[in-house]
Amino acid sequence: MTNKTSLQKSLGIGLTLGVTLLWLLGVTASGLVAQHEMNEVFDSALEETAQRILPLAVTDILNRENGARNQRAPALKDHDEYLTYLVRDRQGNLLLQSHDADPRVFGPLPQEGFSNTSTHRIYGASAVSETIYLEVAEPLAHRREAALEAGLALLMPLTFLIPVSLLGIWWIVRLSLRKVVDFQQSIESRGAGDLSPVAGDQLPREFEPIALAVNRLLERLHRALETERSFTANSAHELRTPLATALAKIQRLKTRIQSDQLKADIADIEESLRSLSVLSGKLLELAKAEGGGAISQSRHDLVPILAMIVSDFESQAPGRITLTLPESEVTSFLDPDAFAILVRNLIENAIKHGSREQPVEVSMAADGTLRVRNGGNLIPPDQLALLRNRFARSKTHATGSGLGLAIADAIATGAGMTMHLRSPATGRQDGFEAELNVACI
Amino acid sequence: MRVLLVEDTEGLGEAVRDQIADDGHAVDWVQTLAFAEASIQTTAYDLILLDLILPDGHGFGFLRKLRTAGYSTPVIILTARDQVSDRIEGLNAGADDYLVKPFDLSELSARVAAVARRYRGNPNPLIRVGDLEVDLGDHRISRNGQPVELTAREWALFEGFIHRPGMLLSRSQLEDRLYAFGAEIESNTIEVYVSRLRKKLGRDAIATVRGMGYRLETHDQ
Repeated sequence: MTNKTSLQKSLGIGLTLGVTLLWLLGVTASGLVAQHEMNEVFDSALEETAQRILPLAVTDILNRENGARNQRAPALKDHDEYLTYLVRDRQGNLLLQSHDADPRVFGPLPQEGFSNTSTHRIYGASAVSETIYLEVAEPLAHRREAALEAGLALLMPLTFLIPVSLLGIWWIVRLSLRKVVDFQQSIESRGAGDLSPVAGDQLPREFEPIALAVNRLLERLHRALETERSFTANSAHELRTPLATALAKIQRLKTRIQSDQLKADIADIEESLRSLSVLSGKLLELAKAEGGGAISQSRHDLVPILAMIVSDFESQAPGRITLTLPESEVTSFLDPDAFAILVRNLIENAIKHGSREQPVEVSMAADGTLRVRNGGNLIPPDQLALLRNRFARSKTHATGSGLGLAIADAIATGAGMTMHLRSPATGRQDGFEAELNVACI
Repeated sequence: MRVLLVEDTEGLGEAVRDQIADDGHAVDWVQTLAFAEASIQTTAYDLILLDLILPDGHGFGFLRKLRTAGYSTPVIILTARDQVSDRIEGLNAGADDYLVKPFDLSELSARVAAVARRYRGNPNPLIRVGDLEVDLGDHRISRNGQPVELTAREWALFEGFIHRPGMLLSRSQLEDRLYAFGAEIESNTIEVYVSRLRKKLGRDAIATVRGMGYRLETHDQ
């Protein structure tokens, strides 16, 4: 599965990003509302302060001796002022100021109500028929700091909540897709020939049509394969009977004639018929091997089949085959017919191309490792690599179709097994060995 | 032996029939299961050669029916089906051997002989009776070390005796072994063949049980 098509990944990332974005939008909106409310509270405090100070300032100024202009209100205790104020007359002459007040912060002429400068929020009020003005200034930085702190307080939980939600979403998506992953794995883990329907009833509803489509496709494939197999089997039958008739007739004819020349000619025809029947048999085996069907729906014990195939060769090569079988069963999903074809071809190959003085060793281990070994000349690596090809033969004088190892290899590949060809054979200086594990499927 | 051949392919059936007959067996050749069934009901066979795909049915069904009915004559299946699963099915249905077409007629002969021997409980093809030494595999007989030549019909008759030495065989049992050669069985046919056998195997080899039949003598047993 590539990243591009990982539903789990795209859903996990998409949902997490979406939720995070919404969260940020929510926090921003809350921050703005909080800032607005804070501004109202700050404004109200500013106004309240101005209203409180104004009567005191007016009394103070009216009680002064004439000529005394600006006075600075003394600080009772040394402290930083958040709020500073100026008391001025209508022309802007300064009458009183708080001890930290900076007149440059205020406008040249006093104003009533709220106003902003680049650095401060100012509230102005007047008294004594608008002859005395009081303006209170509050630094905007103060408000910004408060807003920032409130914003940070809102954002803080997100640093914890986002990873938690990411994990949560990841987990939920993974949980929801588990059945889909199981489904995918059950398809992936099948052997090449397994076309039985896939169980899709556990899938989420949205994926059921896919399971249905997959099963329909498998059914169509199964039918097509069955048709092909029955065609192969029927062709085999239709071909074998006339060949058997021709061969039998020729063999009967041979017994009835006296002429040596005719006998020799008939023997040639008989030999041709024999090669034709071997070759047609091999081509049909190859068609069967490549048409799939190397996998069976159920497990079979392959030990008795191996024994049966080896016993078939007794008349052909008496005493040449040594057979080693395990004590226990070796069960496999490998189709018994495919296994028989595989073994027959390996043994035929060993008998034909191996040294006649040395035995053909056929062995099956309890773990399913099948080995067919024969003595004979070493096969160079470059020729060894070519032996799986059809109609390929190592440099030999033996007659053969050159299809045996290609058939064995097609069956092994079709069943997902790996066939190893070696020369020299394991534990020998020479010879040839074919090895594969038939219990691995 | 008396052999029933069930094979619907004309040329193949002919060749197999001739081969088995040349081996000294009496062969009845039928081309359908219906004829096979009728033959089995009228004649006792020592062996059946059975093709699988026949015009009126499948050989497996026929074989199962025979075995279910307790018919124990050995059966060799001759078939174009070469799959191991077919073979296992055939053997499970009660076949004694399975030969895949195309086959060598000599291999067929060997298998017929081997199955017949196994069926009689003696897989050894060498039998000694009195001063006779018989190789059932090669159809060779020697008397006191001297080879004896028998014709196919003489062998067919002799084989009836050699498998049941010391036992009485009726005229009709012996006639059955010769019928399939298509010969006209005349009233004195059996006498003629028994007399030929006595000439080759020794006067005392076959005893006449008056009014009942003949018996292969086993002097030293």
